[in-house]
Amino acid sequence: MTAALLRLTVQVVLVASLWHGLYAGTGTTAGLSRDQAVTYAVLAVLASRLRELDQYTGRDTVIQHMHFGTIVYWYLRPLPPRRYYALRALGEQLYGFAWAAVGYAVCLAAGVVRPPASAAVAAVFALSLLLGQWILYYVLLAIDQLCFFTLRNNAAMLILLFAQNLLSGVYAPLWFFPDWFVTLSGFLPFQATLSVPLSLYVGRIPLSGAVAALSLQAVWVVVLALFTRLVWRRAARQVISQGG
Amino acid sequence: MRTVRLAWRITRLNFRAQLEYRSEFLMMVAIGAVWQVSVIVFATVLLTRFTGMGGWDSSDVLLIPATRMLAHGLFVLFLGRMHGIGYFIQEGRIDTCLVRPMPVHLQVQLRAFPTNALGDLTVAVGLMAGALGRSGLDWTAGRVSYLVVAVLGGMLLEAALFTVVASAALRFPAADYWGSWLEELLGTFGSYPLNVLPKAVGGFLTYGLPLAFVAYFPAAVLTGHGEGTGVPYWLAAASPLLGLLAYVGSRLLWRWSLRHYTGVNG
Repeated sequence: MTAALLRLTVQVVLVASLWHGLYAGTGTTAGLSRDQAVTYAVLAVLASRLRELDQYTGRDTVIQHMHFGTIVYWYLRPLPPRRYYALRALGEQLYGFAWAAVGYAVCLAAGVVRPPASAAVAAVFALSLLLGQWILYYVLLAIDQLCFFTLRNNAAMLILLFAQNLLSGVYAPLWFFPDWFVTLSGFLPFQATLSVPLSLYVGRIPLSGAVAALSLQAVWVVVLALFTRLVWRRAARQVISQGG
Repeated sequence: MRTVRLAWRITRLNFRAQLEYRSEFLMMVAIGAVWQVSVIVFATVLLTRFTGMGGWDSSDVLLIPATRMLAHGLFVLFLGRMHGIGYFIQEGRIDTCLVRPMPVHLQVQLRAFPTNALGDLTVAVGLMAGALGRSGLDWTAGRVSYLVVAVLGGMLLEAALFTVVASAALRFPAADYWGSWLEELLGTFGSYPLNVLPKAVGGFLTYGLPLAFVAYFPAAVLTGHGEGTGVPYWLAAASPLLGLLAYVGSRLLWRWSLRHYTGVNG
């Protein structure tokens, strides 16, 4: 816990310092002022805490279960694997949310991030963040489900995680990227996980555009829910227990 | 000499083992490349959106990620198996290494061929070629030699940092958590002029976690920004030597930690 706290604190300070430094000789860039950019970057760090539990050390990743043969227990328990996976993810996200919420309160009190412009913005952001986490759950589930079909999928998982970080705006707000990049990312679910809620929070997407943004997120939730549900069914017929 | 022959033979076998799954092999090369491309993307976005960084023009800034990336690629190729060793220790596989005649450190380095290093190095060489092409500096023999030594020093310093984490993992297998954080910090803050950060933060990345010595200080010396780094010029110029000293120190720490290793089951 101490390690997580130290890591989060240092990361927030470093990211806030970097963006303050970058804006030292510049005004508004790509429609983002210094305060908006710093708030966006710090909130992105806090949001990344939501799904950061180290399952690998706990030997609880799907690929490890496949490797050690323990995946078979998922199918022997009275609880269906799909529900077990969802409950496990929910617990992880609630734990991460507690960290992010405390971090947010401290950053807000210290003036590192700006509060939302109005109660309506706060409400829209909260709803968008919830939808974003829901989409992220399905994206990570789809990555995990790959394990059922390919014996080795480390590289594929890393590539998808890279795409998630780049296209959701973790490395830098998508608004800084060229127009073609922003358009391309609009066709993929990744930007809906983080970029949309944070853009609503800082005001880069105005309230008038909130309905369209939230609708797009909802569409992704439905599409990915149907897709992963289908894959769960096929996965059950595909389980290979390497270590069993 | 016999050890070198043996190490070469094991490396060849490891490489052939990686080729067993062709698509996985190619994707691992790709992943090395795309992770490094992310650094280029971030740097390009920042350089096009903002007017230089910390008084450096863009061609000078490019020399920092190019140096760091090349050093990182060589680290991954030659000494990178120290990273992620916590799982190796956690699964008790290091215990087997202890009873073999070959040094444990060498066995750990030879446990797998780092396919992703091929991708890392391909992008790094490309970026270095681009940085040198855009550079307006006069590349004398002295500068080129210093750049080569700086890359090797950066490789050793990164290896030293991960060897320290690996030494800790011998006692606390979950110490790998710090390794992933270190990798994140190196990727994010090891590639830019640190003088854009407040002094206290820059000081932390110089004296707390010596990331500044990997590429920022050597690039500053090469591009004439050596006086504005916040540390004495001689210290910035001595970065490659510090890398060597840090690596020797970390190997001594590794040997000491290995003598005190008791196994995860007591």
